[in-house]
Amino acid sequence: MKFRKLIAGFVAASTVLSLAACSGNTTSSTPNSNSSTANNSTADNSTADNSTADNSSTDNSTASGEKLTLTVLTHRTDRKDDGSLAEMTKSFEEANNCTVVYQAFTDYSTDVPTMMNTTDYGDVLMIPDTVKLEDLSNFFEPLGTYDELSEKYMWADKKMYDNTVYGIAHLGTIAGGICYNKRVWAEAGVTELPKTPDEFVADLKLIADKTDAIPYYTNFADASWTLVQWAALVNSASGSKSYETDILTSQRDLFVPGDAYYEVYKLMFDIFKDPSLHEEDPMTSDWEGCKKAINDGKIATMVMGSWAVSQFKEAGENPDDIGYMPAPFNVGGKQYAESTADYCLGVNKNRSDEIKELGKKYITWFVEESGFAQKEGSVSALKGSPMPDYLTDFADCEFFVTDTAPEGLVGVWDAINNDSEVGTWQGDAANFKIQIAEAAFAGEGEDKFESILADANAKWNATRDANADFKAYLEANG
Amino acid sequence: MAAETVKQKRTLIQWLKGYTGQKYLTTVLFLLIPLVLLVLFTLIPAVNMGIFSFQKRDQLGVSVEWVGFDNYVRLFTDSSYLSTFVNSIYYLIGSFVQQALALFIATLLCSKLKLTNVFKGILFFPYMMNGVAVSLIFRRFFQKGDGITNTEGTLNSILMMFGADPVKWLSNPDIVNFCLVFASIWRYIGFDIVMYIGAIQSISPDIYEAADLDGANAWQRFLYIIFPSIRPIVALQLILAIKGAVSVFEIPYIITGGKNGTSTFVIKTIETAFQYQKIGLASAMAVVLLAIILVITGIQKAFFKERK
Repeated sequence: MKFRKLIAGFVAASTVLSLAACSGNTTSSTPNSNSSTANNSTADNSTADNSTADNSSTDNSTASGEKLTLTVLTHRTDRKDDGSLAEMTKSFEEANNCTVVYQAFTDYSTDVPTMMNTTDYGDVLMIPDTVKLEDLSNFFEPLGTYDELSEKYMWADKKMYDNTVYGIAHLGTIAGGICYNKRVWAEAGVTELPKTPDEFVADLKLIADKTDAIPYYTNFADASWTLVQWAALVNSASGSKSYETDILTSQRDLFVPGDAYYEVYKLMFDIFKDPSLHEEDPMTSDWEGCKKAINDGKIATMVMGSWAVSQFKEAGENPDDIGYMPAPFNVGGKQYAESTADYCLGVNKNRSDEIKELGKKYITWFVEESGFAQKEGSVSALKGSPMPDYLTDFADCEFFVTDTAPEGLVGVWDAINNDSEVGTWQGDAANFKIQIAEAAFAGEGEDKFESILADANAKWNATRDANADFKAYLEANG
Repeated sequence: MAAETVKQKRTLIQWLKGYTGQKYLTTVLFLLIPLVLLVLFTLIPAVNMGIFSFQKRDQLGVSVEWVGFDNYVRLFTDSSYLSTFVNSIYYLIGSFVQQALALFIATLLCSKLKLTNVFKGILFFPYMMNGVAVSLIFRRFFQKGDGITNTEGTLNSILMMFGADPVKWLSNPDIVNFCLVFASIWRYIGFDIVMYIGAIQSISPDIYEAADLDGANAWQRFLYIIFPSIRPIVALQLILAIKGAVSVFEIPYIITGGKNGTSTFVIKTIETAFQYQKIGLASAMAVVLLAIILVITGIQKAFFKERK
């Protein structure tokens, strides 16, 4: 009898517990969630402490009671795991009497947008690119006006809507470059870097003939992001600050022979179709393995953003062999390179004023003082910062930042891109990049290449002509 | 008034303390846990999915638009979505092979063989492994090494031991789908074998004895005793197999990423939802998949009822 009572009691208790857990889950999606109120209360408690701490010395502040906790969401799992983020942040924590907690996500671009269905998505975070510009104000705290911030920072317009800026780039990259092994290229007898696609292919052939290295490594097994790297070459190849806007306003095809979009993927097709120029079996390529191989000079070339340079340098004993060259395209003999913003840091708008203030301070500190961008070998968003030293090959190259889309066309490119599923920045299985690569590997001819692009053009044009915002823009601007 | 409620309460407590009260209380409490979990994690998301399929919405759920049947219209008029079902045919054929093989192995394991429990364990083990782990194992298994970034995979290493040339298993569009189906069979066959063993062992030994006396051989025993007895299980397994074939996901997604003509409907759904930010359309795809599975289940049920 006692035993049965015990069981009944246990069952009842566990039920109540599980119900409590469930109801806890469901309420957390409402705006006034448990955790956010908890955050508020700690913030209120520490108000007094914090204000005194700011005035007095840091010794005092560590002795004073509660600290603010700032949760930062980041995609840099590597830098969280090796402790360098925490190490770097110590100075900020001491100066502001707070604790900074980093939450790193391997699959940042899908996990964090899902979290953003609730109000619990950290205090400071890298703004996911899935947030449309017009929706930024629903999630993020304004950091200032464009006029104000653009004087100090590069790419201030990246996360801007209605002249209000919601995010500052945590670092920037020189898009439209190609990682290569200098030693291998020199061994093959290349003295001058290629300036046209034909020269580039000719140089790869030289490498194939004269060295044992794989001239170009496709990384096709991870094509969903590695082939997308090619998309970064397009703007640089065009040499135009308003290339994509011009494609829209002139209502022309996306892929036109002689034009950047077409020529970049033509180069990809030409390299991929020649088995002597790339690895033997692209389907089972190995991203981690290729880092060491390019460092050792077993791979000569890869199309990767400048973010990869530091990773290739760290992967082996020959960091000085890794070079970064401008995209082999020119406009009237001149080469261009676009500098673009990486993820931008923003502040969660659902937090207390205390936390938001601290979050803004954190962003300022991160961009201006942390030195993170320099350490990563990237470009800092702070204007006037020194350029990374691996850009020596870009001496004759003109850097530029793409213009903001004109009023009425903000977000239209992305809308057409997604609706048509052409996917200039995507790498899904049916994407034109993947299809081009597969056709090239299968040894199909130019006509297949042309027909893939013709399909993409047709989808693009149909979607563009049906886009309501685009129609409105055309009417307003004749 | 107050006294009355106290009295009522007391009778309720008394009733709960009684035998019937305890019976109901225990039943309800025990049922509550799975029901709450079911509602919370299956029914509510499923209903939401149904609602989303009539909306145009992105991943963040802001600026939601009601679009009626537009998503369904697009799904059935644009061939790029439903055409991904073609690859399910490979897995469907594979699942028939898998069922036959499982039935054969199960029959063997139920005969007087030594070390049957060890074999059962070995054969069931893949099913207990995480699907992602299995996929990664097979990504390595089918690897074609270049000696620079990676070495030959398991299969090619074995082939080379016998003097054969290494094969690009995953790059050849003609064989890549068979490789993936093979991985799928390897993973799921253990479950089928255990199901069949369970069913075969529930057959009374008396029947076998009688059959032995009548001089039945192994094939006749299988055809006239084992197969008729386990037909309901075979039917169930076929439903599961078809359901599995139309909803293949992790094995092609991880091994090939859907490239080289290995994409499936679920991979397409994921891409539609998370690469192109069309949660509404992707929900409609999921609803269509659900409908297809319901129809298959219905057909299967009707078919097996008739044969009884």
